[in-house]
Amino acid sequence: MPGLAFDNYQRNNYLTTKGYGSPTATSTGTTIVGCKFNGGVVIAADTRATSGDIVADKNCEKLHRLAPQIWCAGAGTAADTEMVTQLIGSNLELHSLHLNRKPRVVTAMTMLKQHLYKYQGHIGAYLIVAGTDPTGAHLFSIHAHGSTDVGQYQSLGSGSLAAMAVLESEWNEKLTKEEAMKLCSDAIEAGIWNDLGSGSNVDLCVMEVGQDAVLYRNYLTPNVREAKTRSYKFGRGTTAVLRESIYSLVEVQEEIVSFKSAAEAIEVDA
Amino acid sequence: MDIILGIRVQDCTIIATSKAFTRGISILNSTDDKTRQLGEHSLMAFTGESGDTVQFAEYIQANMQLHAMRESYELSPKATASFVRNQLASSLRSRKPYQVNVLIAGFDTKTEKPSLNWLDYLGTNVELPYCAHGYAAFYTSSLLDRHYRADMTQQEGLDLLQLCVKELQLRMPMDFKGVLVKVVSNEGVKIVDF
Amino acid sequence: MSDPNSINGGSAVAMVGKDCVAIACDLRLGNQSLGLANNFEKVFQLGHTFLGLTGLASDVTTLSETFRLKTNLYKMREERTIEPETFANLVSSTLYEKRFGPYFVGPIVAGINSQTKKPFICGFDLIGCIDFAKDFIVSGTASDQLYGMCEALYEPNLEPEDLFETISQALLNAVDRDALSGWGAVVYIVTKDQVVRKVLRTRQD
Repeated sequence: MPGLAFDNYQRNNYLTTKGYGSPTATSTGTTIVGCKFNGGVVIAADTRATSGDIVADKNCEKLHRLAPQIWCAGAGTAADTEMVTQLIGSNLELHSLHLNRKPRVVTAMTMLKQHLYKYQGHIGAYLIVAGTDPTGAHLFSIHAHGSTDVGQYQSLGSGSLAAMAVLESEWNEKLTKEEAMKLCSDAIEAGIWNDLGSGSNVDLCVMEVGQDAVLYRNYLTPNVREAKTRSYKFGRGTTAVLRESIYSLVEVQEEIVSFKSAAEAIEVDA
Repeated sequence: MDIILGIRVQDCTIIATSKAFTRGISILNSTDDKTRQLGEHSLMAFTGESGDTVQFAEYIQANMQLHAMRESYELSPKATASFVRNQLASSLRSRKPYQVNVLIAGFDTKTEKPSLNWLDYLGTNVELPYCAHGYAAFYTSSLLDRHYRADMTQQEGLDLLQLCVKELQLRMPMDFKGVLVKVVSNEGVKIVDF
Repeated sequence: MSDPNSINGGSAVAMVGKDCVAIACDLRLGNQSLGLANNFEKVFQLGHTFLGLTGLASDVTTLSETFRLKTNLYKMREERTIEPETFANLVSSTLYEKRFGPYFVGPIVAGINSQTKKPFICGFDLIGCIDFAKDFIVSGTASDQLYGMCEALYEPNLEPEDLFETISQALLNAVDRDALSGWGAVVYIVTKDQVVRKVLRTRQD
């Protein structure tokens, strides 16, 4: 990828030899799934982001848009899934502009796998790519090292085992759109309840052949926080202040300049 | 185990550095000077990996002199510290970083104010009223916290330094052969009898 | 020696209120257990956008200077100051550029969009993954404690004066349970046309 700078790499290796450990990035210890149905494909994800055992974000977005009708669910290192998805999304748009055709799902998948293979797994993105194009509906999964799978249903992330259990028991060849949506959200829910790395809500995206993709942000919200029964508001003046300074952000300066004098002011032979 | 200490008082900054030059278990020299003058009104004291220290200090010194010759003015103490920090921070990203910690004492002739900056090999830079590097900081911080005032005179500052050195002589496991004391004020850098 | 993120210590927090945002930090800079400075601010003002930077002090300085440069260049190109949302993406890409040799920082961003007048806050991990939050963002060595405090004290749509009390108490009580944070605190309350900066009275141990 153009623009990645490695100059801190040596420094951090040096710091490691001095005994400093390395910190952890936000990871989407995640459940993501995808499943095809008659005439389209659905993908879904949970919305929990973790760093270590801390829940960093309770309602993050793991469904990324690669093209208007190609979407992608990401697991693994959160920054990597976000950045790789943005990069390939941009390149895919340039590519489709160049060819004057709608982008294809296999193209997106190939660009992603070639990029990830180049980085030998160091870009920790685990993706489920799905979408519709002139050749029909497609569903792929991609691992960080660059391998890909094709299937009627897929699951990835730390909750993939729980989700796959649901997919394996409920999936059949003749699913309708509504059944596929139910199956995917059930599979994500299995992850939400049974996997510690997954939680909060279900996001879902439906892509039907010949139609715009529809994103259902927070399709299910089974973990709404109970409203507090009391307020913890502090009385004003609770906190002791040593110094206070007030700055105004807007400074209005009015000056009337007539067009005539402005035109005269232009210097041409300075 | 090297000692470098700095105290900023009302109209000058005092720097004290231990005179012992050690390698392993031996003291090789008892008249060492762990400082370099960077300009008319700025002085840098340093400790760290032997070899790196003097090399780095003289590299900075040469660059400051070059700047003064090219531009016909000297960098302010704040700008000096920022420059040194930048050198340390970029060195940290190289194959073999300088392992040098420094204090920069300066007197800004524009604002008529003395200053003292604490910098370590990671590129940390803070402006402080008093500070030290290494173990000396553990022994002297409490004394400085207790007795320091921003409006101290040079003599009061030296008296406070005397207190610190006494404590170090009492508690440090090694004889550091006393300290070399320099003062950076309006009149430039001067060695003080101590 | 351990994590580079906790050599120097320090914490920051940001919150959203009713047509206002608040961002606060402690003032300690230490070297492991030894406290060095009680005037090391971790919140930086870049036009009408505010940036909180915790982590390795060297990288805090390096990045604050980098972003000062980048936002000044932006201001000259665009003839306006950077909006918080735009700045968040600038932070993200700047950090991700160093994906395989990151800066050891935990940035947070707060501000009010000058066009839409909408409050905005967000946080990042050290390689630039953005955490868009509607309520609060925490960062630093007391982040675990801050999560707890904010989760308990925060409520939506607080007026600026009440938001100040909430963010101050959240920060103060969190850093009092962290050995590496504290030694003073600063709070910025940002409304659409005014910034109030308050220095808090805190424990000094």
